[in-house]
Amino acid sequence: MISVQHLTKGFDDLRRGWVAALDHVSFEVRPGEIFGLLGPNGAGKTTCLRILSTVLRPSSGTATVSGFDVVTHPTEVRKRIGFMSNNTGIYDRMTAWEMAEYYGRLYGLPEDVLKVRLEQLFDTLQMNDFRDTLGAKMSTGMKQKASIARAIVHDPPVIIFDEPTCGLDVLVARKVLAIVQSLKDQGKCIIFSTHIMREVEKLCDRIAIIHKGTILAMGTLPELQEEHHQPDTEELFFDLIERHDEQCRTTQSEFRLANS
Amino acid sequence: MNWQNVKLIFLREVRDQLRDRRTLFMVAVLPLLLYPALGLGMFAMIGNFAEQPRTVVVLGERHLPPPQLLDGGRFVSNWFSNPDDASKLMVVTDTAVELGGGGLNASRNLQLIKQAQELRKLVEQHTSLADELKQAEAEQQERQKDLAAQAEQSPAVLQQRIQQIKHNLAAIDRELTGLFAASQIQVLIVIPDGLRENIERVNRLIAERNTAEGSDLSYPRPTIVKNRADDKSVVAYKRVREVLDAWEGEILRQRLSDLGLPKELPNPVGSAPLDLAAEAQISASFWSKMFPALLVIMAVTGAFYPAVDVAAGEKERGTMETLLVCPATRTEIVLGKFFTVMCFSMSTALLNLLSIGATGKYMLSNPGNGMLAQSGGIALPSVAALAWLLILLIPLSALFSALCLALATFAHSSKEGQYYLTPLLMVSIGMTVFCMSPGIEIYPVHQASWFYSVIPVVNIALLLKTLLLDPSNTDALIFAGPVLATSIGYSLLALWWAIEQFSSEGVLFRDGERFEPGLWIKHLLRDKEPTPTFTEAGFCFVLIMLAQFATLKTFGQTITSVSQDQMGVQMLKVLVISQISVIACPALFMALILTTNIRQSLRLRLPDWKFLGAAVVLPLVLYPLVVELTASLTWFFPPLSEGAVRVIKSMSDGNQPLWLIVVAFAVAPAICEELAFRGFILTGFCRNGRTRLAIVLSALTFGVMHMIPQQVFTTTLVGLVLGLIAVRSRSLIPGVVFHFLFNSMSILRERVSTHLSAGHAEEFQLSFWSSFATLEGGLRFTWLTLLICGAAASACLWWVWQAGRAKVTSETGEGLFPNGLVPVKHQHPTCVS
Repeated sequence: MISVQHLTKGFDDLRRGWVAALDHVSFEVRPGEIFGLLGPNGAGKTTCLRILSTVLRPSSGTATVSGFDVVTHPTEVRKRIGFMSNNTGIYDRMTAWEMAEYYGRLYGLPEDVLKVRLEQLFDTLQMNDFRDTLGAKMSTGMKQKASIARAIVHDPPVIIFDEPTCGLDVLVARKVLAIVQSLKDQGKCIIFSTHIMREVEKLCDRIAIIHKGTILAMGTLPELQEEHHQPDTEELFFDLIERHDEQCRTTQSEFRLANS
Repeated sequence: MNWQNVKLIFLREVRDQLRDRRTLFMVAVLPLLLYPALGLGMFAMIGNFAEQPRTVVVLGERHLPPPQLLDGGRFVSNWFSNPDDASKLMVVTDTAVELGGGGLNASRNLQLIKQAQELRKLVEQHTSLADELKQAEAEQQERQKDLAAQAEQSPAVLQQRIQQIKHNLAAIDRELTGLFAASQIQVLIVIPDGLRENIERVNRLIAERNTAEGSDLSYPRPTIVKNRADDKSVVAYKRVREVLDAWEGEILRQRLSDLGLPKELPNPVGSAPLDLAAEAQISASFWSKMFPALLVIMAVTGAFYPAVDVAAGEKERGTMETLLVCPATRTEIVLGKFFTVMCFSMSTALLNLLSIGATGKYMLSNPGNGMLAQSGGIALPSVAALAWLLILLIPLSALFSALCLALATFAHSSKEGQYYLTPLLMVSIGMTVFCMSPGIEIYPVHQASWFYSVIPVVNIALLLKTLLLDPSNTDALIFAGPVLATSIGYSLLALWWAIEQFSSEGVLFRDGERFEPGLWIKHLLRDKEPTPTFTEAGFCFVLIMLAQFATLKTFGQTITSVSQDQMGVQMLKVLVISQISVIACPALFMALILTTNIRQSLRLRLPDWKFLGAAVVLPLVLYPLVVELTASLTWFFPPLSEGAVRVIKSMSDGNQPLWLIVVAFAVAPAICEELAFRGFILTGFCRNGRTRLAIVLSALTFGVMHMIPQQVFTTTLVGLVLGLIAVRSRSLIPGVVFHFLFNSMSILRERVSTHLSAGHAEEFQLSFWSSFATLEGGLRFTWLTLLICGAAASACLWWVWQAGRAKVTSETGEGLFPNGLVPVKHQHPTCVS
């Protein structure tokens, strides 16, 4: 469903010069699977997912969604994914219903299908009590739900969640995770990025630990725990990141030595 | 292109805007409330702040000759052209005060008279000193004449006396000014003693025809004291002057009738104006001045706020990415937003005009409105005029909407977006002021040029001006074609720019990082790249233009400071220096500082010899084509000013040394302009991977740099060819050769023309060459030449277009990085850098 090969993305930074936000990242995600992208802030998770959603273009490497290349067929890709992140806000001056309806139309759903789909969606997400509330008046939880409804209104085969529980209280976060789980049960191909271990343990079939633009480890949780002899996920995560930073520092000092 | 998506986005944006209180207020409520409120304010002002009466003091009333000038505390009202004005001047006279008149104001009047009398003393001193000064100066002149003969009293003493008088005079004037300002008097009239008797005496003398020499016709005249720097005094003086003139006219008429002479005596010519303007024309002229300007300004402001909201606002509210992940393409999104902005721009403009029209009409129809009623009953513009207004509003709004949208997309936040309004508004206002200036028309007959009809905004405003003046003016309609076509063209360009902005990652995801100039400069110098970036190339052009602006003064000084015969040589020298300093230096300097590979940045490498061949053949065959094209377009461009023609002539005529002309017109431009425009700027523009766009942009900058419209046109065309050669050959040298030969052809043609017209014309016409060229005010080329040249040029250009193509594409990896590709040196992990 999703195939990412040697994806690289660099950008110009005033302070640091050229920075590679993604450095030869490769992974694959199959239908009916939740793939967890685990990494600290600034690891490159969002950049990677933005490339998958065709909002950014890769500097090099390829990424395909349902067989469509994100660079050559961006529209086809966008039709097949539902994308939700912290940066995909909802419109202040639109109600939840209008918002979902608008996106349904943009995805080209016929009016009758759209109507049925919206009713169903508002039922399953329990959004009926605020369907006519303007975005500006919604609580954070309502907004997140409206955002999910917007992302999956066209029933896409691939869904990308970028830190969907960020800033939510436990109750709402739990509900969001339940929604993700139920989507998986419907056979969707899901990428789920987060920096919270608990969510990964609970949801993800396979995970990739990403840090400073590179994937440090990838596999199912038990595989990783076995490979790195660390039964605790959190410790595993820390170990990997520490080790990578250590490595970087050595290379850097070697680099300096070589230069001096 | 999925128009369904465009429509969906458009409808959503419109609804969104209509739900936004700020936009609604700016677009709908403000115009509907503002103008009636302004109108109401004007009524109130007229009602409450009626002109206050100004104080005029008359000293020596009893010496006034008849007819009666004063009536109690006022001037007699029939001396005013509008009798109501009499109440606007309050007159205080010494006679009335002495008689104890003035009622409640008696003490104030008394003080006024006291002040006036003090002033009178000073005025008299001033007059006597001024007389003394005049005498002394006359004496000095007299003395200077026969200074050589004898100098009894040394001139130094006289000089000292003059200085002394001047000094005293200045002191008195200071005192006078201070006293006058401190008093409550706006105008003081001093009537000298015996004025009435003197006038009677002179009248008698005239009646006796006793005006020969020796009879004394002079007598002291009244003085009117005023202060030109004080507005109140100025207004009062204007009225006093009107009264006194009318009154004096009556005295004159009296004198004439006493003498039995006709009253028409003082007006031997007495011309009378005949105003042909019909009422409809007056109002049409009023609207034609007002509406285009208003329309432009309203279209900008109407477009701006919604544009900022739908673009920068979308970024700010965090919904931009939501929109970007929907299936609509960027073009569809921009179009949807563009139509929204345009819709609001047009409604704002129309609502404003409607509101202004309605308010104005209402105010003018109000009978109790004295001042406004004077401007005449202004009728609303005709239906045809309004129809034109609507039609022309469409391209105008389209242009501004696309422009605002591009700017607003570039902005990181709404606040940043608002900052871009000021420059846009300033430029628009500048353009409208230009259009409103009297005498500026869409087709200036004296210049016979279509130039104005292709300038953005100006063309629409000027066409509207003409059509509002006379909607049935079919002559103006021929301009509607080019005006609409170019306006739509500009709108499409602006729209394309907006789409470009919207497709740029750098613009959409511009981080709100704090901008530090120091850091930025450090970044520029530290992270140097082999070749210049797009921005650096653009900046280089701006630098060149600024430097050119700075040297304008030098050119002006050269022209004015040097004698006619020296001017040519001097100008040529200045030209060479400016080519080097203004055009070559910025490019070289920037290449040196900002890039690591100067040879690559400036394309300093040996080309394939075939390109050199093309660079030799092309100018020879292109030159006749360009000459004829320019000649056939003279109707379009405004003619050069006479001064400019003279300067150009003086630089290129046969009196100047040939080597200097060749250096100034061919060698220096070939090297300097190529270094800048095909070197630094074109390389930079090529960096974003779009070679064709880069060539067009470099040609445009090259053209604009030449500033004179005709030259801008031809140099842009030549710039296209030069850019193509530079890109295909990947070298600067063929361009330099081409440029040198092309400019040399120009010099050669000038020389040959002069040579042939000086006595060799007939010989030439009989020769073999006459089938290729003729002599019509310079060497002109025949159709045969043009055909041959056209064919040769096309073949040559086609070869250049094809030849380098494979080579360039196969070698892109080596030189120019295609869009977004990370340079090799940056591919190490971040932590190492």
